[in-house]
Amino acid sequence: MTVFKTFLKVLNKCKFSVILNTVILLIFAGVNMQASDTQMNFEATKPDILIVNQDTNIGITQNLTKYLEGNCEIIAVKDNEDAINDALFYRDVNYVIYIPQNYRQDVLKGENPEIQIKSTGDYQASYAEMLLARYVKVQNIYVKELVKQTDNKTLADEKVENEIIEKINQTISKQTEIEMTSKLDTTGLEKATFYYNFANYTLLAGAILVICLILFSFHEEKIRKRTIVSSMKYQKHNRILLLSNGLFALVLWLFYVLISFFVVGNVMFSTQGLIYIVNSFVFTLCALTIAVLVGNIVNNKNAMSGIVNVIALGSSFLCGAFVPVEWLPDTVLKIAHCLPSYWYIQSNEIVKTMEELNLETLKPIMINMGVVLLFSIGFVIVTNLIARKKRKIA
Amino acid sequence: MFYHNFKYAFKTLFRDKMLIFWTFAFPIILGTFFNMAFSNIENSEKLDIISIAIVEKEENEIMKQAFETLSDEENEDRLFQTQYESEERAKELLENDEITGYLVLLKEEPKVVIKSNGINETILKYVTEEIMQNTEMISDIVEKRVQESMQGYPEGIYNMPNVENIYEDVMKMLEDNQVEFKNISNSNLSYTMIEFYTLIAMTCLYGGILGMTAINHNLANMGNVGKRTSITPTSKGKIIFSSLMASYLAQLIGLAILFVYTIFVLKVDYGTNLPLIVLLSLTGSLAGLSLGIAVATLIKANENAKIGILIAVTMLGCFLSGMMGITMKYMIDKNVPIVNLVNPASMITDGFYALYYYDTLDRYFLNIVSLLIFSGVMIILSINGLRKQKYEAL
Amino acid sequence: MNHVIEVKNLTKEYKTLKAIDDLSFEVREGEILGLLGPNGSGKSTTINCILSLLKFSKGSIQIFGKEMTPNAYDIKKELGVIFQEVAVFEELTVYENIDYFCGLYIKDKKVRKQYIEEAIELVGLEEFKKFYPKQLSGGLLRRLNIACGIAHKPKLIFLDEPTVAVDPQSRNNILDGIKKLRDNGATIVYTTHYMEEVEILCDRIIILDKGKILAQGTSDELKELAKIEEKVTVEINQLEDSMLEKMKKIEHIEEVNYTENTLVVTYNKGENNLGNLIEFLKRENLGYSKIYSERPTLNDVFLELTGKELRD
Repeated sequence: MTVFKTFLKVLNKCKFSVILNTVILLIFAGVNMQASDTQMNFEATKPDILIVNQDTNIGITQNLTKYLEGNCEIIAVKDNEDAINDALFYRDVNYVIYIPQNYRQDVLKGENPEIQIKSTGDYQASYAEMLLARYVKVQNIYVKELVKQTDNKTLADEKVENEIIEKINQTISKQTEIEMTSKLDTTGLEKATFYYNFANYTLLAGAILVICLILFSFHEEKIRKRTIVSSMKYQKHNRILLLSNGLFALVLWLFYVLISFFVVGNVMFSTQGLIYIVNSFVFTLCALTIAVLVGNIVNNKNAMSGIVNVIALGSSFLCGAFVPVEWLPDTVLKIAHCLPSYWYIQSNEIVKTMEELNLETLKPIMINMGVVLLFSIGFVIVTNLIARKKRKIA
Repeated sequence: MFYHNFKYAFKTLFRDKMLIFWTFAFPIILGTFFNMAFSNIENSEKLDIISIAIVEKEENEIMKQAFETLSDEENEDRLFQTQYESEERAKELLENDEITGYLVLLKEEPKVVIKSNGINETILKYVTEEIMQNTEMISDIVEKRVQESMQGYPEGIYNMPNVENIYEDVMKMLEDNQVEFKNISNSNLSYTMIEFYTLIAMTCLYGGILGMTAINHNLANMGNVGKRTSITPTSKGKIIFSSLMASYLAQLIGLAILFVYTIFVLKVDYGTNLPLIVLLSLTGSLAGLSLGIAVATLIKANENAKIGILIAVTMLGCFLSGMMGITMKYMIDKNVPIVNLVNPASMITDGFYALYYYDTLDRYFLNIVSLLIFSGVMIILSINGLRKQKYEAL
Repeated sequence: MNHVIEVKNLTKEYKTLKAIDDLSFEVREGEILGLLGPNGSGKSTTINCILSLLKFSKGSIQIFGKEMTPNAYDIKKELGVIFQEVAVFEELTVYENIDYFCGLYIKDKKVRKQYIEEAIELVGLEEFKKFYPKQLSGGLLRRLNIACGIAHKPKLIFLDEPTVAVDPQSRNNILDGIKKLRDNGATIVYTTHYMEEVEILCDRIIILDKGKILAQGTSDELKELAKIEEKVTVEINQLEDSMLEKMKKIEHIEEVNYTENTLVVTYNKGENNLGNLIEFLKRENLGYSKIYSERPTLNDVFLELTGKELRD
C-alpha cells in the first residue's frame, strides 16, 4: 500500500505534464479526424472543385455550372488568385475550372473556346477532369449537330440553345444500375479505425511518458539503494510498482475508449466496436511493458523525453497510425513488422472491412493480438534481465 | 575576450548531449520518419489502373469494345485491367478484394457490381455510364440524320438513306471531338514538402534551447555558473553577445546539416533561389534564438521546466503550421490568419512554401519581415531581464 | 592598516524578513577574516551584496576605497569568489573550466597558462586536468571550484563555505591552500559555520546571527567574552555533595557540575587551575580515572551570547 500511495503522490507531482500531454494528443486526434472526414464514400466521391466563371451565368454557361454543381463539391474560396492557389496546394480544391469570357457566345458560334484549368493531379482531379471533358464533348457535338443546320456563321437563337441544353442533359442523365454487395457502415468504421490507429500514438506516448517519469523517481540512485536495503522483498516492491503502473495504463486506456464513444459514435456499440476496444486493450498492455522497459533502461530524465518521442512517433509513422497503411511504401511496411504497433494497426484495418463475424474472419485478428502479446512477453523478459543486472551493480 | 568566450560557449553547447539531440538529431530522425511515411502518398493519390472483371451474360459489342480499348496496355490513357470471368468467379474475386467490381453485360444496359464506396468504384461506374451515354448520343444523332435525309422526299417515295455511312460519319465526329484543357496550375504542387518545411521551422525554434542555455550560463539569477560569470571584470553585454553568437552559429550548423540531409538524402525541394533560402534560415534561426532568450529571461522556473516549455511551444507552433497534417496550416491560413502573426513556426514554413510554390516574392518577404518583428519583440521583452545586474534575490 | 572593504549600515530585506540588519564592518589588508554564523545567519547574503549581485535596501559598500557597482570592472578584476555551490560547466574539463573563467580576467595567453598551472598545483588537481566534473569526487569538485575562483591571482578572495561536505583530506588541502594565498598577499573573507576552521585559519572573526554582528575580534578576544577561561573534566566515582561544596571554595572556580560520574569544573580566570585541582583531589584522597583541561571554544562564546549552540 505504501508503494502505491507513493506512486499516486509521484503521479500527482507530474500531473501537469500528464494533462498537457493528454490535451495536446486530443487536439491532434480531433483535428485529424476532421481533416480525414473527406474519406471515400460513394455519394461523397464528388471531387472538390472551384469554378471561376468569367462569363454571364445564363444559357449554355449556366447549364455547365449547374452540371458541375450537381456532380462535384463546390468549395468556397476567397476570390483572389493567391487564395485559389493556396486552396489547390493544400488540396482544399482538387480542380479549378476557369470559364472564359463570352464562353456561351463562342460555344454557340461553334468556336470551341479554350477552358483553362488548374489541377492537383490526384485521382479526384482526374475524375473532375473526366466529368468536365465528357460534358464539353457532348456539348460540342450537339452544337455542331444542331447549330450547323440553322446557320453556321451567326449566333444560334435561343430556341436552338435550349434544344442543345435539353439534348445535353438528356444524354448525361443516363445512369448505370449499381449493385452494392457490402452493407457496411464504411464511414463510421473508417472513423473508428482512424481513431484507434491514432490511439497507437496517444497510448504509446502517454504510457511511456508518465510511467517513465514515475519509474524515474523510484529508480533514482539513492532511493533505489534505500529500496533494495529495505525489508520489503525486492520482487514484491517491483510487482506492486508494476501493478500501479498497470493501473495507470488501464485508466489511460479507459479514458481513450470513453472518448472514442463521443468522437466515433454509434459504431462503437457494435461488435466491431468491441473488437476495436479489445484490440486496443491488448495494445495498452504492450505499451505498458514498453514503458517499463524504457523506464528501466534510461536513467536520464532529459534523454527520456527524446526517447519517448522517437519511439512513439517512429512506430506511429512507420506502422500507419498517421498515414493510411495502404499508402506506405513496401519497404517501410516490411520494417514495420518488427514493431508491435504494426500488428495492432493491422487488426484495426481488418475490422474496417470485416463483413461477417465468425471464427474464420476473427482468426487473423486473434493472430495479430497474439503477436502483440508475444512482443509484450518479450519486453517483460528483457526488462527482468536488465533489472536483475542493475540490482547487483547497485 | 569575444573570441575566448565564444570558443568556450561553443564548446559547452556542443558537449551537451541533450541539446545536440533536440537540435541536431531529433529533426533528422523526424525527417526520416516523414520521408518513410510520406514518400508514397502523392503517388498513391494518382489514379491507379483499376482491376475489373466482365461477365458476358448477353452480347453487347459496343460496351465490350470500349472496355477493351480502355484496358489496352498500349493505350496511354489506360484505365482498367480487365479479365473475363463467369459470374461466380467474379463474385469470388470481388469478395477477396482482387477486383474493384465487375460488369455484367446485358443486351440493353449493363449492370455494375461493386463491394463498397470508393473512388475506383466511382470511376468504373462513370466510365460505364459514359459509354452508354455515347451510345445513346450516337443513336440519337444517327436517327436524326436518317430522318432528315428522308425528309425532302415526297411521301411514299423512299430513298433509303445509307445508315452505315451516317453512322460512320457520326463516329468520326465523336472521335474528332476530343476535348482538351489548358492546365495553368503551378508546377510545384507537392504538399508533403510542407512537412519538411515545418521540420526546418522546428529546428530553427529548437535553436532557442541553445540560446537559452547560453543565457543561463551568464545571468547570476540563473545559477551558479552565471553568478561566477557576473563577478568577472568583463562587460555583461559583451559576454552575452558572444555567447549568443556562439549558440546562433551552433544552431546554423545544425540547420545546415539538416538541409544537406533533406536535400541530398530525402530529396526535399526548397525551390531554386538559394540566397533567399539562406536568408529565411538566418531569420528563422534568429526568431528561435530570441524566443529562447525570452523564455530564459521572462519565465521563472528551473532550467528543465524552461526547456519543457520551449519544446512544448515549438511543437504547438509546428502543429499549427501543419507538421501533423498540412490541413491544419490551411485551416489557419484561411480562417484565423491572425494566429500566424504570433507563430514563428508558421512564418518560417510559409516562407519556404512561398518560395517553393509562388512566382512572386511578396509573400516570402512578408514572412521575413514578420520574423524580424517577432525577433525584435522577443528581444525587447527580454531586454530588462538581460540588463539587470543586481537582483532582489538569488 | 588599509581597509580593503568597508561595509556601512548594510540592510537587506526579503519582503518581511530582515536578512541583514544594519551591518557595519571592515576587512583589513592581508588578513583572513572569518564570518562565522549558523545556517541562515546572513553570511552568503552579505557576500552577495558586497559583490553587487543582490540589491540591498540601505547602506554602502566600498572596496579598495571605491564604491562597488556591477560595472566597477577595475574592482572586479582583483576579486576572486568561491561560491558555496560548485559553479563549473559540466561540459568542460577541469583544465578548460579554469581556463574559461581565468580567461575572463587575464587576456594574455602565456600568463594565463602559467596561472592555470599554478592554480591546479595549489589545489592539487594535477592528475585530473582532463577529467570532466562528473568524474570527480565531491572533494575534488570543491577543489576545482576553488581553482576556478582564484586562478587569476585576485587580491581579495571571498570563500563561501568552501568545505561543506568535504572529506578531511580535501579539507586540509583546501585550508592549506587558503593560507598559501594569504601568504602570497591576498586578503581573504571566509564564511563558515565550522568554528574549528575559523580558529585555526582566521586572523579576525565576526560572529553573525540573524543578520546582526554579535561580536568581532581575534579568537582570543572573543573567548574573553565568554566568562569562562578554562574547563576541567574529571571522571570520578561517587562524589558526595559536601565535597562539591568544599570544591567551590577553590580560587577562580566559577561552577562545579557533577553528573553520571563526570565532574566538570569551570574557571573564570587564573593560572595552574588544573594543578590546584589535582592537589585538592590528592588531599581529599579521591581516586579518579581521567582528567583533562580544555580552553573554551567559540561555541561556548556563541552559547554565551545567544543561549543556543552554534552547531546545528
